[in-house]
Amino acid sequence: MKIRIVKFFTIQLDLDLRHIRSVIDFLKNHTILLLIITLSVISVLSFIYYYIIELGFLYNDARSHLDIGRRVVENLKPGFAQLGSVWLPLPHLLMIPTIWNDFMWHSGLSGAIQSMISYVGTSLFIYLLLRELKIDLFGRLIGVGVFAFNLNILYIQSTAMTELLLLATMTAAVYELIVWYKDENLLRLLRIGFWVLLSTLIRYDGWFLFLFITVIIFSHIFYKYGYKKAEGTVILFATFAGFGILLWFLWNFMIFKDPMYFVFGPYSANAQQKAMEAAGALPTKYNLYISFITYMYAFIYNSNPFFIFIAFIGACIMWFDKRIKSGVRIASVTLFVPLFFNIFALYFGHSSLYVKDIMGSWFNVRYGLVMIPTMAIFIGYFVHKIKSMRYLFLGLFFFITFFSYVNAEAVSLDDAISGSSGKNVKEVSGWLKKNAKEAEGFVLISVASHDAIIFSSGMQMSRFIHEGTGDYWDMATAHPSSWARWIIMRTYDEGDSTFRSLRYNKEFVNNYKLIYKYPFADIYEIKEQYLSQLNLQPVSYMNR
Amino acid sequence: MGKNIGNLLLLIFCLLIYFLSIRGIAGNPKAEELNSLKWRNNGPFEQTGRFALLYSIVEDHSFKFSLPLARFATPDLAMIDGNYVSLFTPGVSFIAIPGYLIGKYFGFAQVGTFAVISIFAICNIFLIRAIAVKLSIPSVTATIGGLIFAFASPAFPYAVDLYQHHISTFLILFSIYSLLYFTDFTALILVWLLFGISIFVDYPNFLMMLPIGIYALTRVFTVKRNIKAIRFEFDLLKVFTLIVIIFPLIFLLWFNQMSYGDPFRLSGTTSRITKIDVNGKPVDVKVNKNISKSPENIVSKQVSIFNMFDTRLMLNGFYIHFISQDRGIFMYTPVMIFGFIGGVIYLKKKKKFAMLFSYIILINILVYSMWGDPWGGWSFGSRYLIPAYAILSIFIAYLLLLLRARNLFLIVFFAVLSYSVAINTLGAVTSSLNPPRVEADILSREAKQEVKYTYERNMDFISNQGSKSFFFNTYGSHRISAWNYYIYLTFFIIIVFGFLILYNSVVTDRRKFL
Repeated sequence: MKIRIVKFFTIQLDLDLRHIRSVIDFLKNHTILLLIITLSVISVLSFIYYYIIELGFLYNDARSHLDIGRRVVENLKPGFAQLGSVWLPLPHLLMIPTIWNDFMWHSGLSGAIQSMISYVGTSLFIYLLLRELKIDLFGRLIGVGVFAFNLNILYIQSTAMTELLLLATMTAAVYELIVWYKDENLLRLLRIGFWVLLSTLIRYDGWFLFLFITVIIFSHIFYKYGYKKAEGTVILFATFAGFGILLWFLWNFMIFKDPMYFVFGPYSANAQQKAMEAAGALPTKYNLYISFITYMYAFIYNSNPFFIFIAFIGACIMWFDKRIKSGVRIASVTLFVPLFFNIFALYFGHSSLYVKDIMGSWFNVRYGLVMIPTMAIFIGYFVHKIKSMRYLFLGLFFFITFFSYVNAEAVSLDDAISGSSGKNVKEVSGWLKKNAKEAEGFVLISVASHDAIIFSSGMQMSRFIHEGTGDYWDMATAHPSSWARWIIMRTYDEGDSTFRSLRYNKEFVNNYKLIYKYPFADIYEIKEQYLSQLNLQPVSYMNR
Repeated sequence: MGKNIGNLLLLIFCLLIYFLSIRGIAGNPKAEELNSLKWRNNGPFEQTGRFALLYSIVEDHSFKFSLPLARFATPDLAMIDGNYVSLFTPGVSFIAIPGYLIGKYFGFAQVGTFAVISIFAICNIFLIRAIAVKLSIPSVTATIGGLIFAFASPAFPYAVDLYQHHISTFLILFSIYSLLYFTDFTALILVWLLFGISIFVDYPNFLMMLPIGIYALTRVFTVKRNIKAIRFEFDLLKVFTLIVIIFPLIFLLWFNQMSYGDPFRLSGTTSRITKIDVNGKPVDVKVNKNISKSPENIVSKQVSIFNMFDTRLMLNGFYIHFISQDRGIFMYTPVMIFGFIGGVIYLKKKKKFAMLFSYIILINILVYSMWGDPWGGWSFGSRYLIPAYAILSIFIAYLLLLLRARNLFLIVFFAVLSYSVAINTLGAVTSSLNPPRVEADILSREAKQEVKYTYERNMDFISNQGSKSFFFNTYGSHRISAWNYYIYLTFFIIIVFGFLILYNSVVTDRRKFL
């Protein structure tokens, strides 16, 4: 590089083309490595930012996920049975190597780290998928940028939520599927199966993906080679990809004596949805229009209407692009699985999602972000195909992103702060932290209702007697004054299992006093005269 | 010679139409009279803040409003340190001063003030035409483009009233014109100067001028490439042209200091006074929740200028600007859809300035879709998109050139154009005060009668109250009904359009230009 002043007020800068080419070659040859480094830095910075401003574990669900992982390793009755049946187990299993550490638990990092890796992973699979579609480097990077710079994605990847893990496995599965459509390699089929298997153990969206991909694989082979080969291929794929689902049924049967416990159990989504329906709070059920509109709003608020419009055009161009194999185009429909799944789930009442425009408040609005990789891929395709508009899109992308950052426009964060997905339990957890953390004695509490309080109290999990502690729970709900120094419950709430167990218990009525009444829970403490009869330490025979 | 006659005919036509439709009544109103029914409720003043500031500067030699002026300026009024001041940037008020003074001399102070905007509108027509011609579009086709902007879009109603839109559009178009017609050095000086002035006229102009500014920066250096190296040559003299942007900004900072006591306090971020009581004290008025984030409805709240643009509002913004019945392009100026089609073709063919034009249009749409009040308060059509209409009109001219021999297209185009002219002429000769639907619904419930929010409201206006046209009220109202006045005016414009399209179709040689 040479800089010189050639004439009055003119500076000349010469850049050697060989150097420029070598830099470009280096960038091209190491794009994936550079992407991993850049995205990892963004991911870590994002986590640190939300950790510092204490927004990383606002989601009630995030705290519950962390608590479930913790209960496996530290609890009155630790063990794998603590994985329970409410949520699929993979995210909690992945926490086990790190959740024993108090910092990893209470910072949320134990759960966030998998989201962060998934963030980088999803970005890379978007890149690879676009490369597979013969999209040039610019289009691939735009696709990755649309996903990676989305503020909602950046927030959720900084938390212990499960969406990013699901996105990574789903995007990986779709990528492998598209490659398989080209080479029909049997090993590739097993790789699809592997990613689908993982996704089926993260969220139920994965189960839908499993069904969808199975149908797509069957129809492809059937159309090309006939029934026999289709049957064989599907059996091979489904046996592997569906193994996680089978394991989950088995797990429920072994632990809860009912393979369908996760569907019909008292803490299942179905039970919650029924309660919501009874309260008239499930407006999407059996209303396809409301279900569709609600989900679309969630998708739009998690991304941007302009980006969705561009992605839609990109999708249309792709489907009519005859240079892409028809099989690949069919396979690309798999990218819409999250859309189909969420609309069906809302329609059949298996899921609840509130957007402010329709229901007046936010709840689970983050479901909309599972469509962002799809959007990113089609945008990447658009800027590749319509080359004359690529710099136009790039400028507008920065323009919109600038304003979304300036105004901190993350709807998934708003849902956690002011919507129904978050729970401000500071008063109760603060009281516990101040009065119970350093004192001796157990706290009787329902994890199904108050996991967020347990997490935020900063106390060890083994200080809590909850539904998952077996004999401790049975004993404490029968004779609370022998076991529970404090009782946390939402009085008169039938959904709170502690209240259900104690409402007619004379010991509770006579031996406890109400300390505080808070919006989410009330605190009861044993009267001083009964303190002496309390068990303050775990009993070894009960831990068996 | 023929070119000059063409220009002269165009000028005469535009002057005539604007003269026939400019809103106003004769007289030089005093501050106390401005709040009367004659001038305000039934009169020409629909948005009062800018005129109040102009009046205060000229008559009271102050940026602080006297009480009658403050009453007149509500709800576009702020209070700083016990003084009533304007909520608007001062550009329009300053620029319109000559019109006020000339008008006052002849006894038409208000009409003279509004005429300044009409002059800018005429300049815009000529600028569109000149830009289009420079982009190899034949002059007749380019003229159609300019006229579509002027009379078939909501630019028409806002050319006969005191609003900022035509001045903002002028600054954008003149910047493009400078880049097209002048040498780099002159063009850069002009662009930076216009950039500065645009902020002085309306803050969001900063964002709309941004693509032009970035484009202008590419003129600062040249790139040459040979086998061995890429050579960048930076002309520092051109870089120094940036300094001229400071002059209008210094003036703006001075105004802010004088009005708000802080040079960096922006007018849109001050508290808003919506009412003044009998004692001259401000009355706090609750804000409609549906437009609570509107920069024109901020009550006692300090906000950053960037906080006014909220990406989450974009969906609603798109709906309002394109589809809604109260403001949407489909409803008020569907002819602009042809502009989008022309734009896509223009961009795909990588024509000159295609990227810059697209940026201006899209940033205009995006900015005002993120704006808290995409409706533009009580207004006619989507007034914030007037700069985009100007650029779209160039694209319409391009499409007309491409498809000038397709009769079916021309028939459909003419039908849509006629509809757009009819709607916007209606707005021009009546009123721009149509409430947003959300507000109309509330008012309907309160008043227990339907409050219309589309151009039907303008139809009711013309039936019941007549026209706000200065010419009609002064010379025509005794001889002709307002409806007939409107119909004749509309037909006159449509006939001229018909003639130009026919001429364009028959005479223009497409091959010569493509």
